[in-house]
Amino acid sequence: MQSRFYRFVSPFLVLLFVGLLPAHAEIRETSVWWLPRNVNMFGHAIDFIFYVILVLTGVTFIGVFSVLAYFLVKYRARPGVPAIHSHGNNTLEVVWTTIPVFIFLGLAIYGNEEWSRMRRKTPPADALPVAVVGEQFGWNVRYPGPDGKLAKMDAKKVSKENPFGVDSADPAGLDDFTTYNDLVFPVNRPIRLYLGSKDVIHAFYVPEFRLYQDMVPGRVYDFVWLKAEATGKFQLACNQLCGQGHYKMFGKLSVVPVAEYESWAKGKAPAPAVTATSSSATPVVSNQR
Amino acid sequence: MSTATLSHAASHSSHDHAEPTGWKKYLWSMDHKVIGLQYLFTSLLFLFVGGGLALLLRWQLAYPSTQVMPNGDVGNPISLAFINPQFYNSLFTMHATVMVFLVVMPLLIGAFGNYLIPLKIGAGDMAFPLINELSYWAYALSGVILMASFLVAGGAPAGGWTSYAPLSSVAAYNNTQIGQSLWCVGIFINGLASIMGAFNYITTIVNMRAPGMGFFRMPLAVWALFITAFLLLLAVPVLSAAAAMLFLDLNSGTNFFNPAHGGQPLLWQHLFWFFGHPEVYIMILPAMGLVSDVLAIFARKPIFGYRAMVYAMVAIGFLGFIVWGHHMFVSGMNLVLSAAFGVSTMVIAVPSAIKTFNWLGTLWGGSIRFTTAMLNALAFVLMFVIGGLSGIFMASTPVDIFVHHTYFIVAHIHYVLFGGSIFGIFAAIYTWYPKMFGRMLDETLGKIHFAFTFVFFNLCFFPMHNVGLGGMMRRIADPTAYEHLRSLQPINQFITLAAIGLGFAQFIFLWNFFRSLKYGAPAGNNPWEATTLEWMVASPPGHGNFEATPTVYRGPYDFSVPGHARDYIMQHEPPISESPVGKPKRAVSAG
Repeated sequence: MQSRFYRFVSPFLVLLFVGLLPAHAEIRETSVWWLPRNVNMFGHAIDFIFYVILVLTGVTFIGVFSVLAYFLVKYRARPGVPAIHSHGNNTLEVVWTTIPVFIFLGLAIYGNEEWSRMRRKTPPADALPVAVVGEQFGWNVRYPGPDGKLAKMDAKKVSKENPFGVDSADPAGLDDFTTYNDLVFPVNRPIRLYLGSKDVIHAFYVPEFRLYQDMVPGRVYDFVWLKAEATGKFQLACNQLCGQGHYKMFGKLSVVPVAEYESWAKGKAPAPAVTATSSSATPVVSNQR
Repeated sequence: MSTATLSHAASHSSHDHAEPTGWKKYLWSMDHKVIGLQYLFTSLLFLFVGGGLALLLRWQLAYPSTQVMPNGDVGNPISLAFINPQFYNSLFTMHATVMVFLVVMPLLIGAFGNYLIPLKIGAGDMAFPLINELSYWAYALSGVILMASFLVAGGAPAGGWTSYAPLSSVAAYNNTQIGQSLWCVGIFINGLASIMGAFNYITTIVNMRAPGMGFFRMPLAVWALFITAFLLLLAVPVLSAAAAMLFLDLNSGTNFFNPAHGGQPLLWQHLFWFFGHPEVYIMILPAMGLVSDVLAIFARKPIFGYRAMVYAMVAIGFLGFIVWGHHMFVSGMNLVLSAAFGVSTMVIAVPSAIKTFNWLGTLWGGSIRFTTAMLNALAFVLMFVIGGLSGIFMASTPVDIFVHHTYFIVAHIHYVLFGGSIFGIFAAIYTWYPKMFGRMLDETLGKIHFAFTFVFFNLCFFPMHNVGLGGMMRRIADPTAYEHLRSLQPINQFITLAAIGLGFAQFIFLWNFFRSLKYGAPAGNNPWEATTLEWMVASPPGHGNFEATPTVYRGPYDFSVPGHARDYIMQHEPPISESPVGKPKRAVSAG
């Protein structure tokens, strides 16, 4: 019986593993089965909570699986052995309700602490502001010039010609420069992102940064910040379905030493001024609704 | 209706309608059993449609037609050239739409809800047979409309089953104006079917239970469908309204969701997920109920903690309405709100844990019969545990920043909806098929089908956790476009091959299903030696179900009562000390 079953199954197993053969030459820095390396300051906390949950759920699963397997063997139907007539046990119900309540509340409270640290606390004052505005299907990026200040963005002014919704009279914006699908971050310096969209919802996603944030048209999000702790080349991917070209909406993202960043920025010409229609610059639409 | 006399009066008046014969029966019958079977056959058909769409999109992910290799080689010789990126987007949009609205909901609620509720509570039919029939035809119409979207100019909707605005609401962004509009119409009509079904179930369960069938003597399957009906009634109208607004945005120049003219994209997400999260429980609660019944039958034991099970389902029903925001942690909605939704989401895991522990308790000390139905029910428990546990990662707001919209989520949803709901559906089909058709399904074929489904399911969906953690996004037509995903491609190909195995294993089920209609062993009234009322009548039951309204004397799971000759006592069997005509009283407490 066993060998017949094996003969029956083996062609399927072979078929399955043949699929693994045409492995591509490229090798990831880390195992293909696990998390990519983390380069963002906040990634450590995320990874830590991830592993805490992994241990908790892993132990729970092994526990449930072992009990299930044991019961299935021990209590299989055998002639002459009747089942126990039991309607339950209230003490047990209380116990296995209370324990999960405390575990889950603990997880929620601890998670919220970290969540506040990552998203609700204001970034340090010396953070480099970088504006990223998605469009079908690419990334508009805006960097501050020597003054270190970006022009104020107003989601209401975002248009085809003015992806960042800036006021051309804004003095802070005169020396700003822009790139397309190309981000360069200095290493070890906090970076504050201003995220927006010209058309549909896009999402800023870099797995090595443990970072995902939707970019919603009509709004500019200013609460995402990060600090890259290692240099390297990465890909910025759009991770919110944005239409036909969604699958190839990616940009280059490199983290470089500070000096290299500065020489790169110096080589960029200021952005051409956009034709302003209104002179009243309204403040950034932040997360107050 | 006066409430006092309902249970008797309603169950008799409800099948006053004459039963059509021959083929007309399957068009115009108002019998809940025929409508249940109509739902069953139609949704099984759509199961294969949805599965076919899944295989096409899996093929594209493994062997992308768009693929350009790093060294300049174009494409893969075995790719399917007709799957361009836009069609790929349509494929996953329609796969999810079909599976959610045309397969899982109608199978669990339409097929088993319709077939089993009146039989299990001792009623002759549903409270509103005509509305019941309309519900089926509305469902069938919605299926036709959604399928028709493949044929219109621009093709099927390609904005994902979640149809996030403004991609879905502005024709210039999605290029599928007609398809997306048909989606709105289809979803609206599908919603009407759900609403008609839901208030019918609630009315039936509240008013038409047989004498003695107190609420806490109802089988858990009925409890689950009862609670599900409330969720449907409260959640589906919100989706219908949202679909109507989306339709107007697309076609009539309104701007509910378009920020370019003052609309709010996040409004769509709130409306959609206010429906969408209860929807998740709508698709799992009935399976939980059906599986509870199956576990009790084949463990020959009463359900462990029956009342705790009921309260847990009620808790899930309530909490299900205050967790929708966990789909939007990273949408940029108010950050304090995210924190609050994080807490409520963690809390809703508790009742699911309670249910799992009680299922284990039910198996403890049992006399377990390993039928195909039981194997599927056990698989449900185990797969639901994996799906539930993987949900905790996303419930934690910081971890969600990393895993949101990756294949980790795809793995999670399939462990809940396939590992949970579909295994639950298989357990239910193997259990109640004999009642529906009077013949047994073949156990050997059933076990082969189960083994292949279980193995291929896990080979297919478990590695998705890993590629998700590796950074693979959902909904991208070609993962090889990304440097960081190219080395994951062998895993994607492995998943695709497993998916093909999973798909083809279902033909064993199909063969068994249709072959047994003719050649299956005759079932008799009660092949599983079960206790609930549907097993006291002929298989299949006649029009009107019960010759006389049964009287219920005990809880739903009186298995292995000590001092009894048989290891089960049916709900309508009077206690030995009492005369059958005596006033029913609570003979055995349930829970």
